[in-house]
Amino acid sequence: MILFQVFALLVCSIFAVGAVLSVLRGRIGPIVGLAWLTLWVTAGIAIARPETTVAAARLLGITRGADLVFYLAILGMIIGFFAVYLGLRRLEGEITTLTRHMAVSEALSEAESAERQEPDRDDEDS
Amino acid sequence: MSTLGGDEPDRGWMPPSTFIVVPAYNEGSVIGEVIRELRRLPATVVVIDDGSSDQTGAVARNAGAVVVTHPLNRGQGAALQTGLDYCLRRGAEVIATFDADGQHSVEDVPRLVEPILRGEVDVVLGSRFLGTAENISFLRKVILKIGVHFTRVMSGARLTDAHNGIRAFSASAASRIRLTQDRMAHASQIIDQIVAAELRFKEMPVSVRYTDYSKGKGQKSVGAVRVAVDYLMGRVAR
Repeated sequence: MILFQVFALLVCSIFAVGAVLSVLRGRIGPIVGLAWLTLWVTAGIAIARPETTVAAARLLGITRGADLVFYLAILGMIIGFFAVYLGLRRLEGEITTLTRHMAVSEALSEAESAERQEPDRDDEDS
Repeated sequence: MSTLGGDEPDRGWMPPSTFIVVPAYNEGSVIGEVIRELRRLPATVVVIDDGSSDQTGAVARNAGAVVVTHPLNRGQGAALQTGLDYCLRRGAEVIATFDADGQHSVEDVPRLVEPILRGEVDVVLGSRFLGTAENISFLRKVILKIGVHFTRVMSGARLTDAHNGIRAFSASAASRIRLTQDRMAHASQIIDQIVAAELRFKEMPVSVRYTDYSKGKGQKSVGAVRVAVDYLMGRVAR
């Protein structure tokens, strides 16, 4: 095993343990945790036994294992970008909800004050 | 009852619980005149100042509008929904929407409100292609027509003008509109929600006047692509 494999397997192990701990601590759900664990374990296997990527690639009709890893990485990035985009959209919506709440509350309060002052003004006139 | 002054012909009555929502962003140079014109109608004019960096809010207030102020700019769709929420909380029976840039004609508002008061429909949508579109560029006309076909495909609604800011809602209909599209794709989302809620709607002819100011301020034609992408992503993301 080369130095890179040792280092990379260490990183994968840390993140795999992190995924398990995150589930146990309730920070992420079990399904999401399992997905991350699967990802890190799969990455670890591919790093420790590179020939497995060749076998997997051939099963899918792809010539080289490296090509399969590349395609999966691209796919993973696109999915990741989309997930971030959806998260940003949700955040934008929450900012709008908060902005609206502040604006409407203040405006209603002003309207109520104006309505309260009108009877007082009427009393003064009479 | 005359709505536009004693010597003007009666152009339709509007109940006192009619509100007119005017979303505005940096329209300080024109909003005053727009509000003064709208104030000739027996309705409460509500300007949603969408985080303007100029004096839009102050000018609108001085012209006699109620001003609801977003502390941050959130977009026309967000401002419109804020306006609907505010008016419903104030007990509105009918809510009209009107653009702040002076493109729309005040005289169209009572005519749009009338079918709702008769109970004929829940929503009235203004159409410049049934009415008049003064000084509209050829490119803008093409893009709006593409928008009409796009709306027909996405929501099934057969309209002649799918992106016009002048509309009228009954309170019941307005309470069923929940815009999540903060920017310009809200216009398509409104149509989607009208159809989904099975609200009765119709189009009526209105006048839209394109001035150098409104053309400069309005959406660039290229922006239509972004609107379409925003709309589609919104449907995927919901």
